[in-house]
Amino acid sequence: MNPKTAAKTPAPSAAPAAALLNLIQAVNQALDLAMAKDPRVMILGEDVGVNGGVFRATDGLWKKYGEDRVVDTPLAEIGIMGCAIGLALNGLRPVAEIQFDGFLPAVLDQVVCHLGRLRSRSRGKLGVPLVLRAPHGGLIHAPEHHSESPEAYFCHTPGVKVVIPSTPYDAKGLLLAAIEDPDPVVFFEPKLLYRSARGEVPSGHYTVPIGKARLMQEGKDITLVTYGAMTVTCEKAAERLTKEDNASVEILDLRTLAPLDLDAILASVGKTGRCVIAHEAPNSGSWAAEISALISERGLLRLLAPVQRVGSWDIRMPLFRLEQYYIPDADRVVLAARKALTF
Amino acid sequence: MPLKTVATLKVQRLEILSPDGRADAALMPKLSAELILKMYRLMMQIRAFDERAIKLQRQGRLGTYPMITGQEATQCVPPLCLKPSDWVVPTYRGGGVYFARGMEMRYALLYWAGDDRGTRFPDGSNDMIFSIPVGTHLTQVAGLAWGEKLKKTGGVALTYCGDGTSSKGDLHEALTFAGQFKLPAVYIIENNGWAISVPRRRQAASETLAQKAWGYGMPGLQVDGNDAFAVYKAVSEAVARARKGQGPTLIECETYRMSHHTTADDAGRYRPQAELEAWKKKDPISRLRKYLESKKLWDDKKEKQLADETALWIDGEVKAYESFPAPNPLNMFADNYAHAPWHLIEQRAELEDVLRFKGGAQVLTQLPPAEGRFP
Repeated sequence: MNPKTAAKTPAPSAAPAAALLNLIQAVNQALDLAMAKDPRVMILGEDVGVNGGVFRATDGLWKKYGEDRVVDTPLAEIGIMGCAIGLALNGLRPVAEIQFDGFLPAVLDQVVCHLGRLRSRSRGKLGVPLVLRAPHGGLIHAPEHHSESPEAYFCHTPGVKVVIPSTPYDAKGLLLAAIEDPDPVVFFEPKLLYRSARGEVPSGHYTVPIGKARLMQEGKDITLVTYGAMTVTCEKAAERLTKEDNASVEILDLRTLAPLDLDAILASVGKTGRCVIAHEAPNSGSWAAEISALISERGLLRLLAPVQRVGSWDIRMPLFRLEQYYIPDADRVVLAARKALTF
Repeated sequence: MPLKTVATLKVQRLEILSPDGRADAALMPKLSAELILKMYRLMMQIRAFDERAIKLQRQGRLGTYPMITGQEATQCVPPLCLKPSDWVVPTYRGGGVYFARGMEMRYALLYWAGDDRGTRFPDGSNDMIFSIPVGTHLTQVAGLAWGEKLKKTGGVALTYCGDGTSSKGDLHEALTFAGQFKLPAVYIIENNGWAISVPRRRQAASETLAQKAWGYGMPGLQVDGNDAFAVYKAVSEAVARARKGQGPTLIECETYRMSHHTTADDAGRYRPQAELEAWKKKDPISRLRKYLESKKLWDDKKEKQLADETALWIDGEVKAYESFPAPNPLNMFADNYAHAPWHLIEQRAELEDVLRFKGGAQVLTQLPPAEGRFP
């Protein structure tokens, strides 16, 4: 060995305390840690095993933990969901993957009629500690039914928690918290951010509490309440509002949609008096409607302008050539914010 | 009391044309030379189209595209057993089916380029758009067939699903209804060996998918899906049964996905190369060509002529596809309801405001005219 080179090579040390990861790598690391820590944790879904998931969320785990713990299932979403419920009832900790958001409606029968109700129907005897992972949202030029934002159906379902991280740090911490949660958690992963969101992620085990929002940016004049990939759009909008409108913008990343961090929402909106809720789903009957209703019920007298909702139009997601006109962009958030600021 | 045998099930497989191009005379259906040549042309053309589509995707001129290569017989032949007024619902990997039904392939390109104007099917046919959430169309097809039965048209509904989709509850419910109401439906399971990365043997523990038919009181048959003659015989007999009011049939066409799941997939991660090589020897096109050559219906000159014509045809379709102007964003508001409700009228106007905000007061006049019906 060349001694010069050898001198440059650092001595082997413990694994680094943190690394720069993208969101999909953070999800993968959380799954890996959860499986290493708890032998009850298993993964089931379409193409999650040999192929490592179509987005590579489970890459390497089939090799590491074997086909009994990382299971390539038959192509049957209701089967995956129902089996995950049965496994969870019987002491396992399943993490079920539904490959695309557009395939989630199939599992609603299991989710609505059973997943959120079994604890109550069994008078607390049974719990369903499972995680249902699915990609979320659009803007990656995906085929039809691959760019949906179906969170409201799940948020509307009693007994189910709904989580959607927007940073790699939160993705890992929230997924570990979701797997350890005694109740079912639907875990949405914004697919636009899978590779574009990068950040420092501690290598060890940690959790981010479910039910707590993240204050992304502090401001005095207006609050942008948002989640998922729309956090990035809101950051862009805030930058423009600061520059062009001299507005001081606060941004709240909800991180958990159900149960909502109402304290954080009311604290922020109470301070700024103005609120824009920005999200990717069609606006009518969306989770933004619930947030808006809660603000009006509990914080009306602190408002200086009507709450604005910015969502997709109330039509189906078009094919991708028009998706940038369908999913709200920074322009639409800016326009809504100006309405509130000039009310 | 001893156990009684109450039913005995026999699962049969139909093969007529061997990979070396020899046809079993005892099983060979009556086919005119003209029809066999038509099958061959369609299969050749759709393979060339597939190859061009993949190239376009790799060049960034097309979105994610699902390849057809290897499945040409299963796709191009069943439509030849139907009338234009019959219903056909393929899968998303169904370009060959639509093509054989007369679809202008510029629209297929447009669809996979993410443009809603691509959802246009051959005029005069009853073809329906495929379902991307797989198998969700299968019960709908039972409904289509039911309608034909109620209207006493003698019409038939034919549909496809994959081996992966055969695991979904949708097929169970569809076949339950089709069997129960003796519907004029033909269900083809296009078993191409792989559901993305999951092989056929990991879908059902049964030896065949054809035998599922017995649970629903209908005949089931496994067919060599790379054998154009076997596919023709099985499907035309099923269609004839359906027309005569004798009910539905389930046909498992065993074929092979020679390429990736889509252009977004890499089959090299999970598929043994030896398996692919073995299936290449069973190619549906080369065996039909060998047959045609043995009957003196085809030769190198004709092959070259067809290849040249096909290249020209594809050039024309690609050119036509690429000459569509960018769609008007307002198009997406059209045809969501027969009559648009107030909130869509408001939201469309809001989108106009957004477009003006982005592009200036004149922007709406610079867009191509909005298409579709609104309000």
